[in-house]
Amino acid sequence: MALRVTGLRKSFGGVHALQGVDLTIEAGEVHALLGHNGAGKSTLIKALGGAFQPDDGTIEVGGRSHAGLTPRQSIEAGIAIIFQHLSLVDSLSVVDNIFLGQEQRRLGMVDRRRQREAAQRLLDRLGATSSLDSRVGDLPMGQKQLVEIAKALSRDPVVLVLDEPTAALSSHEIGALERTVRSLQEQGLAICYVTHLLGEVERLADRMTVLRDGRVHVATSLEGKTRRDIIEAIAEPPTDLPPAGPVHDADPPQLQVRGLAGPGIGPVDLEVRPGEIVGLYGLIGSGRTRTLEMVFGRRSRRGSITVGGREVRRATPRAALAAGLALVPGDRGRQGLFASLTALDNALLPAQGVLSRFGLRRRRAEAEAFERLATSLAVHPATPNAPARAFSGGNQQKLLLGRWINGILPTTVLLLDEPTQGVDVRARHEIYKVVRTIASERRTAVLFASTDPEEVVALADRALVMQDGRVIGELAGAALDEDALLHAVHQSDSDLQEQS
Amino acid sequence: MSTTVNPRQLARYPLIPVIVAMAIGFELSTGSFMGSQNLLGIATDSATLAIVAVPSALLVISGYLDLSVGSTYALGAVAAGWLASEHGGGLLTCVLLSLLAGLAVGAVNGFLCCVVGLSPFIVTLGTLTAVRGLAQQFAPLPLTSFGDSFAWLGGAKVAGLPSPVVIALLVVLVAGAILALTPVGRHIYAIGVSREAAYLSGVRVRTVPFTLFLATGACAALAGAIKASVLGAVQSGTAGSGFELAVLTAVLVGGVALTGGSGTLVGVVLGVAFLGILQNGLTLVGVPTFWQQVAQGLALVVAAGLAYLAPRLEALAAVRPQAARRTTSEPTPATT
Repeated sequence: MALRVTGLRKSFGGVHALQGVDLTIEAGEVHALLGHNGAGKSTLIKALGGAFQPDDGTIEVGGRSHAGLTPRQSIEAGIAIIFQHLSLVDSLSVVDNIFLGQEQRRLGMVDRRRQREAAQRLLDRLGATSSLDSRVGDLPMGQKQLVEIAKALSRDPVVLVLDEPTAALSSHEIGALERTVRSLQEQGLAICYVTHLLGEVERLADRMTVLRDGRVHVATSLEGKTRRDIIEAIAEPPTDLPPAGPVHDADPPQLQVRGLAGPGIGPVDLEVRPGEIVGLYGLIGSGRTRTLEMVFGRRSRRGSITVGGREVRRATPRAALAAGLALVPGDRGRQGLFASLTALDNALLPAQGVLSRFGLRRRRAEAEAFERLATSLAVHPATPNAPARAFSGGNQQKLLLGRWINGILPTTVLLLDEPTQGVDVRARHEIYKVVRTIASERRTAVLFASTDPEEVVALADRALVMQDGRVIGELAGAALDEDALLHAVHQSDSDLQEQS
Repeated sequence: MSTTVNPRQLARYPLIPVIVAMAIGFELSTGSFMGSQNLLGIATDSATLAIVAVPSALLVISGYLDLSVGSTYALGAVAAGWLASEHGGGLLTCVLLSLLAGLAVGAVNGFLCCVVGLSPFIVTLGTLTAVRGLAQQFAPLPLTSFGDSFAWLGGAKVAGLPSPVVIALLVVLVAGAILALTPVGRHIYAIGVSREAAYLSGVRVRTVPFTLFLATGACAALAGAIKASVLGAVQSGTAGSGFELAVLTAVLVGGVALTGGSGTLVGVVLGVAFLGILQNGLTLVGVPTFWQQVAQGLALVVAAGLAYLAPRLEALAAVRPQAARRTTSEPTPATT
């Protein structure tokens, strides 16, 4: 066997990210690693990559057992990981990227000829068509990814880990990648394939391991398994989410978007009624995030945005906020959180002005508002003065929700981008609960974007399927399930393939 | 465990023990350092630095930077001095003209950095040079004989304190009130931590730093005018040359991070006091000027080192209890 992980454990603060995970991958096997956000997939991969030392357990690669790895040991042991965010230098050529940090030398000089030959062999092996001298930044995503894989292969790995490799690829690039994966498998590589997409599991994987809440939930061969079996293995037990509030068709829409268009987007038309939760489902690159940002005025736009019957003319966040729109962005670290500021500042920054009197802050009113907010959102720990970076991902997200849902600001339309990214399972359910509650009790209209079909099914009253910047389908009620969402995306995938 | 000093608290204002140690050292070696005359002298000498360092610090906290203050200082001094010496200008008109000159420089800096979005380092490096040229073109020869009214700006006493000290205190109080008591104070930090997140939260990410550029320009010009009034003369080529580096040193030694988003006004005031005391004490002890400069430079590097170490020390303190728990489960206790 190429890789054997035994009893791996890791906690961060109080969060048990991995609680004794076993994973075995044979040479020449494609092994699907599945599970929802927060199940522990990325923690497991990071442990393999040597991003941290596990608390307990062993990682055995190619017959040698390790209690923990550093990034360097991980590479030397034969583990190669292709993350979603590639580690390439855009301004360097393909060949320079492949050998970055491990240049082939002769007499102390870089042996360019040998590098070019080796690089060409690697690219051929992968079926990559890019030239050795192309600037990596100019390549399409699929070719970039192959360069990254070539770079990994140049170190002669035993195990290749692919973290949602198709998430950012176009449909015909996906086909090419799947062929590459199969040929690497035939060459005897052990492949760990992380994905959300069941079609890929069906087409590629020999075995699968499903993680849930930091443990192995199911580990089984996929021989003779149907899609239904896979879905059942992944599905979580139903949770006690508060019921969705009634949505009245007679109500005028709280958010009305007409002819929204911009670079790569649109035209998009959509409506969200008071108390309604609408999910924007689509793969990475389908335009979900940009649609939300355009509605919020973060990006320039054409078309009209109407909130509560009044048009928001200026495309700026301030104009959107004044109209009652609010956005919790997907990139929490960069766009949402003020990591070094206190929890109170993070949650109440826009509310401080409303609470102030004669231009002066009212600390007591702020402290009370924070306490109410921390209680209603179950923020833990409920310490107003701790810096936001000390909180877990889930609690950081609650602070950001609290920034708009606090009874002080007039938020009537809440835009959420990937509301549970980087959040553990418990916090995910708490966040669902909060969103449901504000929709049903405060009649807030919620529009959220997600790449996780299970999340869309769990949270949305109605789902819009996005692809290439357009809404290509709508699902609601009994018709809204994971199968239907995946089908909607893949349906159009095969249409595209027929066209091309 | 309970008797140990919390390293986080100590790391917050490491300048306090340093300043206390310096004061004791200088007093012991000279016997005249702690006299009220000398302390008031230090305060007066440091006042112009404080007047500019405080708004500059707010600018740095919000993620921007103004290197042009040395030349703005000269322009402010020249503007006031020219009106006083050649047109017999009174106190009010001189100060007003000086402030206008400072606001103009601040507006140019602010427009280019906040509205156009150019790098503040490059823009203010440019205005540092350009404004110095402007001041010299305007008054190529030294200006003197300002008249009694303008001399009052730097020479008056208010409640026993020299007027520069009173003005510096006012600047500190106003800035402190803005930072601590108003929502805008939090916006200044928020913009410095993450401009994007602040923008998406509805913070005025252009107006706030633009206003701070205006304030920094006005304060730099005012400081120049005060110094001109104190000295009774101004020379456009040398007034305030190198002043921008002293300001930046005070801000950084005071614990404001160049990356923005962190720092306190108390720290900046301590930074100004530290530099003032260092210079004064070393002069009293008889250290030559050039060695004083060496000491100032080293102080900056040491402060930077402390700023680099502080979060690591904090992290170490935070990890400790966990490490302690782990050692109990091991057969041989680790010495750390």
